[in-house]
Amino acid sequence: MKSIFSNSGYFLKETLTMLRLNVLSNSLSLLSIGLIFFLLAMVISGWWTSSHVAEVIQSEAEINVFYNENIGDAGVSQLVERIQEIEGVRESRLVNEGEAYTRMEKILGEEARVLEVFNDNPFSPFIEVQINLEKIDPVLKELDHLTGIEHIRNNKDVLDRIRNISGILKLFGFLVVIAVGITTLIIISHIIRQGIHNQREQINTLRLLGAPEFFIAFPFLLEGLLLTVGGGILAVSLAAFTLKQAYDQMAGSLSFIPLLPSEVLVSNMVIVVMTLSAILGMFGSLLGLTLSRNN
Amino acid sequence: MIEATGVCLRYPDDTLALQDIDLQIEPGEMVYITGPSGSGKTSLLKLFMGIEYPTSGSIKVIGQPITKGQTSGIRELRRMIGPVFQEFKLLKGRTVMENVILGMRFLDLPKGQLKEKAKNSLERVGLTHKALSLVENLSLGESQRVAIARAVARNPVLILADEPTGNLDKDNALKILELLASLKDEKTSVIITTHATHLISREKNAKLLTMDKGTMRWER
Repeated sequence: MKSIFSNSGYFLKETLTMLRLNVLSNSLSLLSIGLIFFLLAMVISGWWTSSHVAEVIQSEAEINVFYNENIGDAGVSQLVERIQEIEGVRESRLVNEGEAYTRMEKILGEEARVLEVFNDNPFSPFIEVQINLEKIDPVLKELDHLTGIEHIRNNKDVLDRIRNISGILKLFGFLVVIAVGITTLIIISHIIRQGIHNQREQINTLRLLGAPEFFIAFPFLLEGLLLTVGGGILAVSLAAFTLKQAYDQMAGSLSFIPLLPSEVLVSNMVIVVMTLSAILGMFGSLLGLTLSRNN
Repeated sequence: MIEATGVCLRYPDDTLALQDIDLQIEPGEMVYITGPSGSGKTSLLKLFMGIEYPTSGSIKVIGQPITKGQTSGIRELRRMIGPVFQEFKLLKGRTVMENVILGMRFLDLPKGQLKEKAKNSLERVGLTHKALSLVENLSLGESQRVAIARAVARNPVLILADEPTGNLDKDNALKILELLASLKDEKTSVIITTHATHLISREKNAKLLTMDKGTMRWER
């Protein structure tokens, strides 16, 4: 260990010499690794975003219960109370025509002018029921048994689809992480083996002089690490730029989608990609060294 | 320093490189090993460095038995040896100074001493002015002197030089042999293989060992 610290300058210089000796091959490897990690960064970002959207939508899960207006005010109050008692219901409250109209105005924004074509308020009052999403099926079943209800509007299908997409992205993400891991290990171990082959005379000389194996191997480890970390930096720079562009686009046309704050997404992505690149660089180099040793 | 008893070395292709080698070399001795090509000079040196192992018999170099499975012991042994190779084995793309320092980096010497020792060694071989030159820009004689400087800087107790004059003209070869001879002291032994017997006749204090078809004979 003492020898590693006292020779750190030499190791770094030696690594840079090795990178310089095969500059074209190493540049292409750096670019390949950067592009692979960019793919990983984008998949992970998509995975986190979809999970976040699904979580937000799930936490705001609600059912709209439209009732028969003939049941009168007392009947409506009674219905609100009975719904509130159902297990899985967090809150049940009446939304009258006026509130329904105001909500729609807010949602439509500048397009709310379209509502002016109606002489009367076109919206019906309804009971807004906030629920625990996992209890949606038993809640719907209970509501079926209540009298005075005309129809129920729920977003179960939409939520199910988002959950499915999120699950697929998660699975896809895992597969991409595995694929990126294996590809990086192969690329790095191949580069290291090639480097060892190119430097075999030097390695042989160092052995004849009595150099310990770690002293000979350390520059190769450092070479793999520098290539993957360099690839990681390239990938996160590209991914941060791409995400910024995507956020700018979505801020205008798809502003209603509850995205993660871009700074949080980018900083988390940088941490994951850089950590992975360092780990894969280390293991790829060790794999290359082991394979060369066995040969 | 070196003790060999009944050493034989047979290569995997069944070539018998050395047979019945019995020798003892004491600290501070200077030994020339001569003989025609293929007589076993280099094989003997390979045994001394732990590059080859005896097929039979036993050999100890600086107390280290040369046998299979002694990897770390042989590594330690090599750190006490100053090897000078016929083909120099200098690291390309590095300067003369870097090559000399590299030979000491893993010897547990204080970091501050490396440059000073390298400078002293280069001064001893007369190459101070070439310290910052890349080794690929040196002449053959200069390259061999860098290899000697690298060996000397390590403070070895045994210097092994394999055909150090093989690539050199007569004048340069003489200078290199004189330089190597000057490295011998009461603690440091110097062993040189060469087939240029005409160049070593003047070195009266040195022992002379002749090899022929894998066998050895002391001439003096």
